[in-house]
Amino acid sequence: MTYAYLFKYIIIGDTGVGKSCLLLQFTDKRFQPVHDLTIGVEFGARMVNIDGKQIKLQIWDTAGQESFRSITRSYYRGAAGALLVYDITRRETFNHLTSWLEDARQHSSSNMVIMLIGNKSDLESRRDVKREEGEAFAREHGLIFMETSAKTACNVEEAFINTAKEIYRKIQQGLFDVHNEANGIKIGPQQCISSSVGPSTSQRNSGDVESNSGCC
Amino acid sequence: MKRGRTPKPAQGRAERTLVPACPTGRPGRLQRHLSGEFDQLRDFPIFESNFVQVTRLGEVANKVTMGVAASSPALELPDLLLLAGPAKENGHLQLFGLFPLQFVQLFVHDESRWQLKVKFRTGRAFYLQLRAPRETLDREFGQWVRLLYRLRFPSAQGSVPFTQEYPAQDWEEQDDDEDLTPEEEEELRTMEARLNPQASELWGL
Repeated sequence: MTYAYLFKYIIIGDTGVGKSCLLLQFTDKRFQPVHDLTIGVEFGARMVNIDGKQIKLQIWDTAGQESFRSITRSYYRGAAGALLVYDITRRETFNHLTSWLEDARQHSSSNMVIMLIGNKSDLESRRDVKREEGEAFAREHGLIFMETSAKTACNVEEAFINTAKEIYRKIQQGLFDVHNEANGIKIGPQQCISSSVGPSTSQRNSGDVESNSGCC
Repeated sequence: MKRGRTPKPAQGRAERTLVPACPTGRPGRLQRHLSGEFDQLRDFPIFESNFVQVTRLGEVANKVTMGVAASSPALELPDLLLLAGPAKENGHLQLFGLFPLQFVQLFVHDESRWQLKVKFRTGRAFYLQLRAPRETLDREFGQWVRLLYRLRFPSAQGSVPFTQEYPAQDWEEQDDDEDLTPEEEEELRTMEARLNPQASELWGL
């Protein structure tokens, strides 16, 4: 299937926060409570529609465990978007965000769009990190923020798609050079797109979703 | 496959006979897929084959393409395992995972059925049966056996016991190339020119 752009995403964060579950929910619309530990990188892909454009999201789900980290960080390079995930029921996963963020900033493009995700929002009774803390961290570091539940699918679509919208907005503003592969954006096969993409009048599409749908 | 060259016992790196990554001497399906969409991986030398995943008892499950790749041309041996298979929605090859070989072990599961066992450090394991034309199955399986031997005993390369000579043969890959449209053929030719199969040299397999 043809597409206008391909965006490379990485999913990063501590082990057990639900990175692979978020990917599975987004690509397959299902939740798998028991998942093998990720070693290296696992991949997923899905088409979304942003502003009338078909966009392929190529998602690199990285291993969160410390012993794999030195290897997987080399694959951050060339990502247009990152989902930085913590578990709202485990404070330590929130405390480690700074370290993940430093890694991401160091190994990827300065224009990379980063979505901070507080996952497992269905486990409200076990919450250990307030929503306001996530919001404050995101504000302080210039990230987008959402709480999600890979289990109930709450905000999962929104997290991936809002990241794509932000990348697309940056393309329109000329902040991303789509011809530079280091930015994690590829023009689709047989597409003829000038480097400056003009704004489109089409605003709603089938794969498009409203921001902050508020289910969590 | 050997393009008129005869493999010899592995020697020093510089002396080792290098062969193209793919049996036909042109980029395999996996390498072409990476070349199209995975900029970061597209220049890796890759050795790849088509398999079917089987149960421990040999019942066939799904198609898998497995490759080993070197993340740097300076490496003496591959350091990554790549797994791919048909995408659910359109059957096109899709990369599923990239795993550092230091966390993976390859075994011969059943030589008579050309089956390998792939075991991750996490304990997860699965079985793959090589899929290739009958006349080249043994040869291609032998390459995988030699590879896993080298990965297991990297310092023993000089004594690798796989020294049989293979006749040079012309044969076609048993994959989906036959179904390519003229546009895809053209794209393939362009890609082949860009990849240059000689760059996909293997580790004396």
